Amino acid sequence: MFKDLDPILHSQLRLAVMSLLISVKEAEFTFIREKTNSTAGNLSVQIQKLKDAGYIDVTKQFKDNYPQTICKITREGVAAFENYVISLQSYLKKD
Amino acid sequence: MDQSEKTLSEKESLDLIARMINKAKDACHDTGIAAIMWGAVIAVCSLVRLAELQFGFTMPFDIYWLTFVAVIPQIYFTIKEKKNRKVKAYGDEFYDYLWIGFGICIFLMIYTTSHMFNEWKPVAVEYKSLAGHSSSFRLYEYSSSLFLLLYGMPTFVTGVSMRFKPMLWGGLLCWVCCLVCLYTPVKTDLLLVALSSVSAWLIPGIIMEKDYRKAKRTLAEKHV
Repeated sequence: MFKDLDPILHSQLRLAVMSLLISVKEAEFTFIREKTNSTAGNLSVQIQKLKDAGYIDVTKQFKDNYPQTICKITREGVAAFENYVISLQSYLKKD
Repeated sequence: MDQSEKTLSEKESLDLIARMINKAKDACHDTGIAAIMWGAVIAVCSLVRLAELQFGFTMPFDIYWLTFVAVIPQIYFTIKEKKNRKVKAYGDEFYDYLWIGFGICIFLMIYTTSHMFNEWKPVAVEYKSLAGHSSSFRLYEYSSSLFLLLYGMPTFVTGVSMRFKPMLWGGLLCWVCCLVCLYTPVKTDLLLVALSSVSAWLIPGIIMEKDYRKAKRTLAEKHV
């Protein structure tokens, strides 16, 4: 049924991350973790998958001597997200 | 539960997207502190100057210096807010530059109008010596209109782009008062400036602050 849906996006946590990032210019890792109620380890893995797919950019830097990870959606990510939503809507229309 | 691999139905996916977008939106609320502060400062300055004219007393310092002093807490609030902010919205940079540009315009307007007053002074003196009475044209009577013209611009743009009606109406009121000030005496001008700053910044700022607190409270209750 979902064979046409992007497998990278069709998972709860990755979709949650992408939905957050589509609405903002960039967000800190801690912000995404708070909003998705996920664990740091699980979130790191999923963010890496999104990064490998080219859907997000990840910048690691230091802020007040603490490591800071900033995530930002890429153009490819925006296009993939839009396609995913269009596909979802078409499935809903079929029902 | 492995949250990442959980299979979602179409409806669940769309619900999740909507929920996350709302969460991101709630995190981008403006605190409204700067609007409250500037609305109050400009209103106080105008009303104190009005009281000086009405009751014939003089403050030991020019009350409008308060606007320069207010820049210090403004810088402090901006740095603090930016430091605590974990998320950057798309419009953040636009609003930052819009209001910085407004600040520069106000500074230049103060410099320009005071330069014009100094240039005009000898002309007024000469007119008085030749005509035997002061000219009915008083340059300073037009300064309120010029400032209100500027106040309206970033306020209106912010109100429209944020879809925040109190600021939109506040900006429009500044422009209406700008026109009215051309035909009213200085004391009325000062009242209109106070009214404009309260409507354009103080009231919208209070509404923003309330919304910000509400969003924060809601998020805390949901533990997100």
